Amino acid sequence: MKLISCIIRPDRLASVKEALFRAGITGLTITRASGHGGERDTVTVRRGSKLLMQFHEKIKIEMACSEPFVAATVNAIITAARTGAVGDGKIFVQPLEQVIRIRTGERDNAALTPVTVAEVQKHSLEAQR
Amino acid sequence: MTSMLQTVSRKIRTNWQDPLVRRHVGLLFLGKTIGLVLVLVLITQWQRLLPAMLGAQAATPAATPAAAPAAAPALDPLAAINAINTVWVLVAAFLVFCMQVGFVLLEAGFARSRESVNILVEGIADTCICGVTFWLWGFAFMFEPGTPWIGTTGFALQGLAPTYGTTGVALLAFWVFQFAFADTCSTITSGAMIGRCGFVGDLLYSVGVTGFIYPIIGHWAWGPDGWLVTMTIPFRDFAGSTVVHTIGGAISLAGAIALGPRLGRIFKRDGGGPMPAHDLIIGAAGGLILWFGWYGFNPGSTLSALDTAGIGRVSFNTTLAACSAGLTSLFYSYVRTKKWDLALTTNGFLAGLVAITCPCYWVDPIGAFFIGIGGGLVVVWGIDALEYLRIDDPIGAVPVHMVGGIWGTLSLGLFAAGKYGASTPTGQDISTVVTGLFYGGGIGVLKAQFIGSATILLATFVSAMALMYAVKATGTLRVSAEGELEGLDVHEHGSSAYPEYMISGSESVILAVSAKEEAA
Repeated sequence: MKLISCIIRPDRLASVKEALFRAGITGLTITRASGHGGERDTVTVRRGSKLLMQFHEKIKIEMACSEPFVAATVNAIITAARTGAVGDGKIFVQPLEQVIRIRTGERDNAALTPVTVAEVQKHSLEAQR
Repeated sequence: MTSMLQTVSRKIRTNWQDPLVRRHVGLLFLGKTIGLVLVLVLITQWQRLLPAMLGAQAATPAATPAAAPAAAPALDPLAAINAINTVWVLVAAFLVFCMQVGFVLLEAGFARSRESVNILVEGIADTCICGVTFWLWGFAFMFEPGTPWIGTTGFALQGLAPTYGTTGVALLAFWVFQFAFADTCSTITSGAMIGRCGFVGDLLYSVGVTGFIYPIIGHWAWGPDGWLVTMTIPFRDFAGSTVVHTIGGAISLAGAIALGPRLGRIFKRDGGGPMPAHDLIIGAAGGLILWFGWYGFNPGSTLSALDTAGIGRVSFNTTLAACSAGLTSLFYSYVRTKKWDLALTTNGFLAGLVAITCPCYWVDPIGAFFIGIGGGLVVVWGIDALEYLRIDDPIGAVPVHMVGGIWGTLSLGLFAAGKYGASTPTGQDISTVVTGLFYGGGIGVLKAQFIGSATILLATFVSAMALMYAVKATGTLRVSAEGELEGLDVHEHGSSAYPEYMISGSESVILAVSAKEEAA
């Protein structure tokens, strides 16, 4: 079991989410985040004076995956989030000690297996139509 | 004291060795000197320069005080009529100007948060450009006599009578009213282009719209000798369904086609849908403020407060059409999606208001009711058609203003009640009444309305396409892909509308420090 978290550009979120759903990863948590990486700071202007914005707007996604899904998840994120410019973000993969599903009390891999993945995929495809 | 002076003089001496400081101080002194000389020249010579700049106008203030004591103290009935009508037109003008607030709120609310500042700056800049161009030549092109195609007198409002035509409304009050209309047209234009239109491109096409397309084509329908007015059955557009809204909507459509859709906008037939609005509260409030402003737009177009039945009827028809249109699109949205859609309802009542703008003076309540229902239907079909054609119109400017305007203009030919003629400064004139098809008037009026609507639509669309592609050729119409993804607010204007929404750690930068760093 691994906890995969990644920092991506806000405008890549839609395509990353789509790529993850296509790879079968439908359980994820998204946070609006601010941070600093290799990019230059943005200079903004307010009533004539310059302000330096020190942090960039990012999206942080967290997913807990069973071992067979880790490579697929990482590949999906890389292909969907890469633009080639500085500031595309990073993926962090960490070992995970325990997972418990609150509804049933199932543990570890049983708790990670999405019960409704086919249903979720089908529903989101239908809603788009 | 002396030590302080010593420190200061030492500082000056060391700083003076820096070439950057020497250059800045030199430039500063040069600028100050030029400014000082200009001010001195203005102070000493203004009496000689002013008449040369203002032309004939400078002579009038000298003449008026001499004439005033001679005037009879008794109340001149014509002057009283003029006063009431002028105040009425001015009140209406202020209400129409209030629609600017509605437009920026509606557009900002229905767009994404990253382009809010851009919409606000565009709304303000369009208003300012419109005021200057309409003063210099727009009013002359549109409302002064000349040829049937364009007005040719009265540039910069020079050499005009104190009241406009036979209306008895003070010329400058009439100008303010018509400026607010022109400004409305210019702001409608930006509606379908938000989110990807560069600011320089916006300034360029705004001059083309408010300086040329709107006044010249508007002259055909509203000028004293426009060719659509002098037809045997004249083309009638009471408050501008065609002149303001169809022109604005058609330019907007040309702009949206020239720009192409926003990045990441997927259309319904490709499995996507419209991008979500960022603040529906602001959007709906803007729509309602527009409705409020419409009470100046339509009733004010009588140009006469003494046509009491007229202004009452126009206000009533405006209200009823908006209500029936709003209800129509509300229920239509529920039938289609099983949800009560706020954005579609807002667009719906706006389309009803646009539709009733042309026929509001000549129709009965029952006519207004059905015109509103038509407006609520055509706006939904218009939105569907644009979605199918893959044209990205973020706030629905084209369905509301262009499609609604066409329907409203044609509806006069169907619903004109055959009881009302024209508004005069002292009341109403029913010597020639307007009768539509459904009231036994035949297709004469409908034909005139169709000719006017079709020619204006076509002429506007063709000239707007030429204008938009000309601006596009300069490379300023659309921002770069990076700029669009970053958001127009930060990219074009350097500030976000909601800076505290994200943690961004802003910090003042002392300009001198950054200048020194750049020099190093």
